[in-house]
Amino acid sequence: MSEKSLGKKLGLFKILIIAKKAGRVTRKYPFEKPLVTDEFRGKIEIDEKECIGCGACANACPPNALKLIKGENTFILQYFIGRCIYCWRCIDVCPTNAIKGTREFELATPDLNDLYESVVHDVIKCRECSKPIMTVKAKDYIISKVSVSENYIDLDPDCRKKHFLSSIEKRFSGGIE
Amino acid sequence: MNNDYIEKVITELKARGASDISVSHDTIFVSVESDKLRSLVEYIHNELDCYFRTCGGCDERPINGFFALYHIFGDDKHGLNIVVKTYASSDDPKFPTIVDIVPAADWCEMEAHDLLGFEFTGRRQYRLVLPPNWPKGLYPLRKEVPYNIRPKPSTSGEQISKPTNIAAIPIGPYHPALHEPEYFELYIEGEKVVDVKYRGFHVHRGIEKLGETRMTYQQINFLAERICGICGFVHSTCYCQAVEKAARIDVPERALFIRSIVLEVERIHSHLLWVGVAAHLLGYDTGFMHTWRIREPVMVLAELLTGSRKTYGINLIGGVRRDIDESKKKKALEFLDIVEREFKTLADTLLSIPQIKKRLKETGILPKEDARKLSVVGPVARASGLDRDVRRDLPYAAYKYVDFNVPVYDEGDNMARLLVRVDEVFESIKILRQLLDQIPKGPIIAEDITIPEERMAVSLTEAPRGENVHFVITGRGKPYRWKVRAPSYQNIPALKIMLNGVQLADAPITIASIDPCFSCTDRILVIRDNGEKYWLKLTHPRGGSSCPRSL
Repeated sequence: MSEKSLGKKLGLFKILIIAKKAGRVTRKYPFEKPLVTDEFRGKIEIDEKECIGCGACANACPPNALKLIKGENTFILQYFIGRCIYCWRCIDVCPTNAIKGTREFELATPDLNDLYESVVHDVIKCRECSKPIMTVKAKDYIISKVSVSENYIDLDPDCRKKHFLSSIEKRFSGGIE
Repeated sequence: MNNDYIEKVITELKARGASDISVSHDTIFVSVESDKLRSLVEYIHNELDCYFRTCGGCDERPINGFFALYHIFGDDKHGLNIVVKTYASSDDPKFPTIVDIVPAADWCEMEAHDLLGFEFTGRRQYRLVLPPNWPKGLYPLRKEVPYNIRPKPSTSGEQISKPTNIAAIPIGPYHPALHEPEYFELYIEGEKVVDVKYRGFHVHRGIEKLGETRMTYQQINFLAERICGICGFVHSTCYCQAVEKAARIDVPERALFIRSIVLEVERIHSHLLWVGVAAHLLGYDTGFMHTWRIREPVMVLAELLTGSRKTYGINLIGGVRRDIDESKKKKALEFLDIVEREFKTLADTLLSIPQIKKRLKETGILPKEDARKLSVVGPVARASGLDRDVRRDLPYAAYKYVDFNVPVYDEGDNMARLLVRVDEVFESIKILRQLLDQIPKGPIIAEDITIPEERMAVSLTEAPRGENVHFVITGRGKPYRWKVRAPSYQNIPALKIMLNGVQLADAPITIASIDPCFSCTDRILVIRDNGEKYWLKLTHPRGGSSCPRSL
């Protein structure tokens, strides 16, 4: 008897043929390789050498998993995997390609600290008000792109404004206060 | 689009007091004085025969010193949206209610009442969206309220159930099938359901506020995708379409095709999920297991195309982030063949089981007239003889390039809703084959996007559960107002008619038959009562006993 006519006779028991054909579909994960495809988006990895601490990724990150924490002497780029939604927007926006995507997703851990990754950056300070402006690496990166910026990059934006205004003032007043 | 028709409508609207009329794309925007609102709405709803999509309030005091209310209507026959704007003074935001003309406006009026402190004259007002212990007089969607405010809870007077003479069966707050928080109380006499009480909104997450304060335009795509765990891509597509429409951004065609492809993949997975759940609820777990086995290649396909099984995260304003190359296309076509073949056999088997047929046929009936009155959407509408589908009526993404049928059944019972979804799986496969075949070459995202301030747009998408509405007013760096309406919001009220007189054992499958998505709905809100017409009423969440006239 052909399978088709058999199926007709069986009616609702056709499910037996379906089940026989499908066989066992349960996989032996985690004792075999994970079942994700090559396209899968998992956890990200930040290359400390390449990262310049500009904060572009922190601006783009929808759930605030990436944060640029600005301190007096250091800027810290912090990645908290617990908040990450694996959208890889940070990879799209990173100017130096310091962030790489991986296929890792088995991230459960009993220790919350395992879910934090940080990159620490030294900062440059304003030569007048000594407020931290940006990371040393970001400064070097900007100068490599726009060499003329070397003249004013070590000034805080507020101090830069003051400089600009006073230079205009000088020009119009002839230097007399 | 029919320009003569638009002209005619505009003349009629003008005669009824509408001013500031502008037409943009498929939407007519009008303003009206609040004393003329009711007559204008009556004309649009009753004479133009428009569906009511939703309404949303907006705090426009920083812009023009007024509060504003937007009523959004839809003319599916002519592919039009009509947005009616009404102003109210900043110190006393009062609006006339339209709920007696348009019963569907009940929930969104109460949402504006809760979130913006609007008063609606001529109706009973009650708290709906906010939790019962949220303090009075604090309106989270007003612009001066910070998004992260954590007020001290006030005491709640809410009583979930009151003792009655009729037996009450609680279902929830965890749904037996869908594992989402909502609460039904079924009142039964013998084995028959005679009354239903519904209490939702347990997961109101305030995402509109978040989108208007903390996020940027491109970040909201990912937030919108998380409105729903099953059909999230529909929401992110609807959101970016709204912004793209408002900012008049030309999206590359290839991106539109990719959006449509992913949307259809999502529809197949959603419908297969539902068929599995339905089989499970009917006690046919073998069918459940096999449906989900067949669904697995669809999930793998989604991951292959987007990078994730769910929450695909590929939508951006202006286009998409992942391209579909030839190898993926080939793989997709292979998967579609497998799914089509296997699901055909399984669906035939499922529908040949006498017990399943008996449980589904003539249970949970929603007659066509009631369906029209309640403006239900999606498979629920199509199973009750309403021929409406946004993909065909107001085509978006790449749907205008493909041929497909919209399955419509007249029975309005649980069986019809199952059949609509089964048919739609095969229609989606048909659409996918055409899209994959026709996909044009080119870029996948628009370059240099600028989004001007204070523009408005309404965008629609057909989710697996029905029509989705996103309304956006643009602002600086982020939307000034972002309003979302999910499909289950329109469909849940129909449950009270479907559950009228069903056997208690059929209640779970009847509730599940609208494929309700409570997370979607609760971000907005629920509850509606259609007046004295039906003896079976969804009772008011805080009122306890059956409310005779909540609108």
